[in-house]
Amino acid sequence: MATRIAPSLPARLSSRRAWTTAGLLIPAYGWLTLAVFLPLGAMLFFSFLKAAPFGDRPLVFTFDQYLAFFRRPYLFDVAWRSIELGLWTTGLCALIGLPAALALARATRGRARQVLFLLIILPFWTNGLVRIFSWTIVLREGGVLDQALHLVLPSAPGLSLLYSYPAIVIGLVHAYLPYMILTCYLSVAAIEDSVVEAARSLGARTPAIFWKIILPLSLPGLVSGAILIFVPVIGSFMEPRILGGRIGVTMGTVIEDQFTQAFNWPLGAALSFIMLAVVLLIFGLTSRILPGRVASF
Amino acid sequence: MAIAINRRSFNALLASGVTAAASSGLMPRRAAAATEITVLNWKGYGTDEAWALKDFAAATGVTVKHDYFNSEPEMLTKLQTNPGAYDVVLINSARTQQAQAAGLLDPIDLAAAPNAKDLAPALKTHANLMVDGKTYGLSWLWGMNSLAIRTGKVTGADSFAIFLDPRYAGRLALLDDAATEIAVGALLTGQDINNPKDMKAIGDKLKAMKTNVKLLWSSEDEWNKAFAADAFDISVFWSGAAVRSKKQSKLPVEFIVPKEGAIGWLDGLSIPKSSKNKDAALKFINYMVDPKFYVAWATQAGAPASANTAAMSELPADDLNKQIHKPEYLSKLQFMSPMPDDRRQAFNDLWEEVKAGYAK
Amino acid sequence: MVLVGRSWLLAVVAFLYLPIAVMIAMAFNASSLYALPIKPSLQWFVALAGDAPLLTATRNSLAIALFTSIVATLVGTLASIALSRQAFRGRSLLKALLLPPIAIPWLITGTAMLVFFFWTGIGRGLHAMMIGHVALAIPYVVLVVGTGMEAVRVDLEEAAMSLGSTPVHAFVAVTMPLLAPSIVAAGLFAFAVSLDQFVVSYFLSTPGVSTLPVEIYSSIRKGFTPEINAISAIFFGVSTLLVLLFAQLSNLGGNRGRR
Repeated sequence: MATRIAPSLPARLSSRRAWTTAGLLIPAYGWLTLAVFLPLGAMLFFSFLKAAPFGDRPLVFTFDQYLAFFRRPYLFDVAWRSIELGLWTTGLCALIGLPAALALARATRGRARQVLFLLIILPFWTNGLVRIFSWTIVLREGGVLDQALHLVLPSAPGLSLLYSYPAIVIGLVHAYLPYMILTCYLSVAAIEDSVVEAARSLGARTPAIFWKIILPLSLPGLVSGAILIFVPVIGSFMEPRILGGRIGVTMGTVIEDQFTQAFNWPLGAALSFIMLAVVLLIFGLTSRILPGRVASF
Repeated sequence: MAIAINRRSFNALLASGVTAAASSGLMPRRAAAATEITVLNWKGYGTDEAWALKDFAAATGVTVKHDYFNSEPEMLTKLQTNPGAYDVVLINSARTQQAQAAGLLDPIDLAAAPNAKDLAPALKTHANLMVDGKTYGLSWLWGMNSLAIRTGKVTGADSFAIFLDPRYAGRLALLDDAATEIAVGALLTGQDINNPKDMKAIGDKLKAMKTNVKLLWSSEDEWNKAFAADAFDISVFWSGAAVRSKKQSKLPVEFIVPKEGAIGWLDGLSIPKSSKNKDAALKFINYMVDPKFYVAWATQAGAPASANTAAMSELPADDLNKQIHKPEYLSKLQFMSPMPDDRRQAFNDLWEEVKAGYAK
Repeated sequence: MVLVGRSWLLAVVAFLYLPIAVMIAMAFNASSLYALPIKPSLQWFVALAGDAPLLTATRNSLAIALFTSIVATLVGTLASIALSRQAFRGRSLLKALLLPPIAIPWLITGTAMLVFFFWTGIGRGLHAMMIGHVALAIPYVVLVVGTGMEAVRVDLEEAAMSLGSTPVHAFVAVTMPLLAPSIVAAGLFAFAVSLDQFVVSYFLSTPGVSTLPVEIYSSIRKGFTPEINAISAIFFGVSTLLVLLFAQLSNLGGNRGRR
């Protein structure tokens, strides 16, 4: 966008602009470098070791950890299931979140909208673990949901969702939905009434307005939301472990086990970086398919 | 590194300032002698009982701070990356030699800990704790990972084979821990839990439990809540935790050592080489094996068995700890022992594969 | 249409608050094992009143979260402006670099920080936690504010500049107010990220200096009592009141995002 103005500016200004850009970026990226990139760099280094650096154990370099998938074919299964879980969660969040964002932007106004906006973020201000344990109380047999069902239908069979795939998805959707609603809202809120009214006056029906105007304009929000959801979900381990029972095995739990049980940081780190590469690949490919402004991702 | 040293010398300066203030009469005399030690342990595992710390401080003037870990590798990492921060650390004796080999521990002079005299001889100098004839951990507690069932719901539980019994489909909870589950498989196939020869047989047994497995628990909290909510009837459980579940939560749980035997473990208290308060640390370790402390802890809260025979014999005869940790079990147990990295990794890989199969 | 939209919104809010309601209800339940039906009791609040470490931990958490949200929002917003308003080489790379902190599980990042901070002498403690939290919150801020920037029309800024405004002035006078809802949202998210960051806090806290998530996380193995629910309920209640009060007094809720 800025490219549109940049050429018309004098060269002196554009060099000042470079300094401005650097000045704007350095605090954030400097901070990230110190606290995230350098430590993760150390992890990257570990991932090429045979064993975690501990005591005065000699450092033995190997590429073995990156062959983990071929040594352990069951990991392909686990990886695919994690991606599937990410897709389900992201998809459901989009299906629930985009309409909610639209409703927030177009069906509420004033104070009510402000309050709703805040109410959607506030559940996040509780600890994630406590929320997950609350879900176990809701989903288990004889839990809140089960009892509520029997209040309405006394003859219904027992309802137990805990320790199942849907339980993991419910927990994850709950944990990440606010991201989708908020990012979509930020995009949707900018759609001007006049655009929608113009389309309507030209005879467009609601579905057409949605597909031709609203969806394309909310794409940046959907993409940001998808990043904030899909990426952490495939590495999540608390929700699968606690809500999934024996089904809760994901890349996240496999990686966690390398750190908490096997004391094999190199393998855990290598698996994380493989996962990161897959995530980057997926977003690289999507950004080619998606049009225009979001292409940068 | 330079910064760290600077900070440390700064702290020393600060401390000397405090001492100066104390000696110049600004503070009560006692404060000058006050030492603070830091213990690294699982949370809620004896050393952080508030009444005990008060009692210990009153007797010795030493106050105790805590840092916690949630896994053994994490304990080793914290020990290594925080030299000087800890004075006492709890180490599962299967890991003691690993920590010693990394140069993290000091040998313990058993003669300087009066309460060590009553330690069960087999545990006091257990091979797990010894390197070159020196003791690197004071034998503190032992316990079992074995079979726990819901009283009245499960019958004929005298073998781990009940984990494969089709009558209990979907009623089994396994501990999500590679060492424990591989050991269960080893016991079922008549092998050494620390060095099984036939890993495939173990894998097959564990995989065959799939239809029975309902969940994999990883914390006592999770176990209790799921058991109370009737999610399962049979499981692998910790002996000390079984006492607490029965005593504190009044859960209908029965702890059994089946005919194959059970998995034993021995926890020791060690003093890091980098500790700056070794005398106070030793005093604290000595206090921890004091029968007075153990009896109060075990009867109020519930605990694993003390390695101190005097402590065990002072427990009331009808005490749950005493009933669950019968001395004759000691001969039926296979104790978790140190093992080389690649074997540990093989255990973990197999368990990971089994779990992936459960999830499918 | 409006009615459908509003009911959908209400249903979504109900879903979001279901576990929160359960969390609060369990704080008033006598059973330490969260057994149903509820037997009303205030015992956990009484226990909490005497639990000084837990209260201190809560205060620490609050301080860290506040610091994190302010710093991360400031720093992240600046970066976001550069990333979405200025074209330069390496922009895509910088954007892609926001992904690792989100993608790599916190356990790994936490371990990495512990080791690296040890090597460099940063060590552990409140300062280390703050460094870690801010870093982990920055990507969220950049993405959220970036999304808001996409929606603010560039031509308004250009119009202002063509009328003689400097770029900075045009930005502050024109874009900033339109961006306010995004910035507020980002700040609230950063606060949430910090509160939820139990793994990193857990690795970086000095013995004796605890935070609420650390207390919760280190209790996992042994078990936590509804005391945790009680403190969470109070925390949630108070923060809700404060935030709604803030909304009442200011006008930052997003009314101006749409003209």
